[in-house]
Amino acid sequence: MSLMPFASSRPLSIGVELELQLLNCNDYDLISSAPDMLRRIARQTHHGEIKPEMTRSMIEINTSVQHEYAALVEELHSLRNTVADAGRFLNIAVAGGGTHPFQHWSEQKIFDAPRFHYLSDLYGYLAKQFTIFGQHVHIGCPGPDEALHLLHMLSRYVPHFIALSASSPFVQGHDTGFASARLNSVFSFPLSGRAPFVLHWEDFERFFSKMTGTGVVESMKDFYWDIRPKPEFGTIEVRVCDTPLTVEIAAAIACYIQAMARYIMVERPGEPQEDDYLVYTFNRFQACRFGLDGVFIDPRTHEQRSLREDIADMLLRIADHATELQAGEAMAQIRQILATGNGASWLRQTYAHEHNLSDVMQQQAKLWMND
Amino acid sequence: MTLSAYLPTWPLSISPALWLALALVIAVLVGEGLVRYLRLPRIVGYVGIGLLLGPAGLNLIPELPAAEWRLLVDLALGILLFELGSKVNLRWLKANPWIAGTSLLEAAATFFAVFGLLLWFDVAHVTAAVVATIAIATSPAIVVRTVTESRARGQVTERLLLMTALNCIYAIICHKLAVAFMHGETGASLIHTVLQPLYLIGGSALLGWLFGSAFNSIHRHLGRHEETFSFLLFGMITIATIVASTLKLSPMLILLAAGLIVRYRRQRPRTFLPHFGSAGAVLVVLMFTANGLAANLDGLRGSMLLVVLLILVRTIAKLLSVLVLARFSGINLQQALALGIALVPMSSLTLLLTLDTATAFPDFASGLGLVLMSSIVILELAGPILVQMALRGAGETLEEKT
Repeated sequence: MSLMPFASSRPLSIGVELELQLLNCNDYDLISSAPDMLRRIARQTHHGEIKPEMTRSMIEINTSVQHEYAALVEELHSLRNTVADAGRFLNIAVAGGGTHPFQHWSEQKIFDAPRFHYLSDLYGYLAKQFTIFGQHVHIGCPGPDEALHLLHMLSRYVPHFIALSASSPFVQGHDTGFASARLNSVFSFPLSGRAPFVLHWEDFERFFSKMTGTGVVESMKDFYWDIRPKPEFGTIEVRVCDTPLTVEIAAAIACYIQAMARYIMVERPGEPQEDDYLVYTFNRFQACRFGLDGVFIDPRTHEQRSLREDIADMLLRIADHATELQAGEAMAQIRQILATGNGASWLRQTYAHEHNLSDVMQQQAKLWMND
Repeated sequence: MTLSAYLPTWPLSISPALWLALALVIAVLVGEGLVRYLRLPRIVGYVGIGLLLGPAGLNLIPELPAAEWRLLVDLALGILLFELGSKVNLRWLKANPWIAGTSLLEAAATFFAVFGLLLWFDVAHVTAAVVATIAIATSPAIVVRTVTESRARGQVTERLLLMTALNCIYAIICHKLAVAFMHGETGASLIHTVLQPLYLIGGSALLGWLFGSAFNSIHRHLGRHEETFSFLLFGMITIATIVASTLKLSPMLILLAAGLIVRYRRQRPRTFLPHFGSAGAVLVVLMFTANGLAANLDGLRGSMLLVVLLILVRTIAKLLSVLVLARFSGINLQQALALGIALVPMSSLTLLLTLDTATAFPDFASGLGLVLMSSIVILELAGPILVQMALRGAGETLEEKT
């Protein structure tokens, strides 16, 4: 099976996908109510797309193709209101965040049914792996080679996106110490990580057909790369972000990536190099583990600084591009995150105050639903 | 020294409590067997063993004395009603008025269906009204117990809990009104016909509010330590039950209202141990076994047809009401079917209302009271199975979630 041709899209157009968690309003554990939510939502007209996800306790909202922050955030507000209203109607809470802090997988095993033991042994691990919630950002590219160029140039900044969106410190009832524990689940997939260092679309097509020839993959969907090309949309898709705790932050992060993409496309600050990836996994780990306080090593100068500093520096460098894209408000949001912390720190503070992960989850849902 | 100094004298004098304890042990073992081999709910075993070994069955074990039985049921049902109230989010009714509509329709339809049936059987209007109000209630005991046991969650489960809480409130209040009318008919003056239900409803609501407030403040200070808190709560439920009986108020209404108020005022839920710990759980099991021991199937002898029809029209009324409004309230037909079926069980609450009426009106005790008692026995045995089937069918029990 060959790769479909790279569609054309308007450069720097953006689209946001958010995976959301559905919670019951009693103990704020996940609830398999996606069919109920989708049935309710189907009866209303709404912007963008709202669709099911891998497990029944998640749904995904997709914006249409957008070009700037104001319209993006407006569409996200409208999508959020549609979902939140459906939730209120059905007594289901909806929340952002990269992980659910206390799914009772271990408890389910206690339940004494032979069939359940069997299925849980077979699929339990995969189910666990997939009940995580991410934000995907699409950036429109004028052509396939430009897309690959942008992809490899953006890789340097992947830790930025991780640290800004990180909102999954709790897993299975415990503080993991990570800002984004969600990505640890993604990394354990064999085809995760970075895209191969290929800068021309013909080379990428050759790589893809070799991979399909091995039988390991069938389509682009089988690659769980941090950034991957999406030929049918004519975009590249940044997939490292946790779903932030509010749609405003989701929009701001999308526009931060957009402004950075404009900087890369317009100023062409150097060409991507294979050696840029020498520090890639180290930087990414630092971002997952320590968030904005993580250490960042510049792949070219080998200079060390905190991610917070590197992001602040980047904000200055892309300021003109952000202005050009009318993303001033988004950049102010990013600065706000640098000053007051990301979703992970909000969650830890809330936990310190509430002492109870159910209550944290309730606050988290309140925040997302704008109650 | 003689043998009789250290050997027991024959015949052995045995405390009646031994029989109940024995029934409990057997019931629990049978309950486990039902779960393991037939995937049936445990309650069926608890009630069934009581029924089988008790006076209505093989007569191996005597019935519990009425006063002890009543205390046991009051406490266990109190725990279950408070638990039910605290699981239910009244704010949901505001966000989705169709659920309130479904609940009112379901209760009204049940009332009129049963009322109409009884008139057709030439039952006096007032008596028919009393029976019809009792028939409105779904068993909170069976619903809470089966939901807990199957660890169900989802739209059907949550609507079942909410609609059960609501129809119990309607039933208790309407029953008091109907009984007051019955008193009016048998000669009491108008003032008592009006004042009595007012006192009951107002007093129960006030006590429920006091209980809820006390609960909230104790919870704020001691809630972190789950076990201590469960003990306290257990004591409070006992106190509320006894105070309510002393003041001739409805302990059932008070505890249900208290649970609802706690949940409503806190806004955020609190997960308690099922039945607030093992002491509560033991009481609940004992209650079901004692209900089986107290089962009265005399109604089946004289009025089998009426018993069957009563169960039938009540079931149809509940099922149709839920089905009619399903689409508007946001569930599909399969879920509505499950919800309608799950609303069918009758148990302790209905039994207490029936017995209270029978105590006040001896004619009722020997007539329609027996019909109700037989219906209760049938729906107490079939109820848990129906609820479990319904929740399984809706895919909301844990074992289906794989």
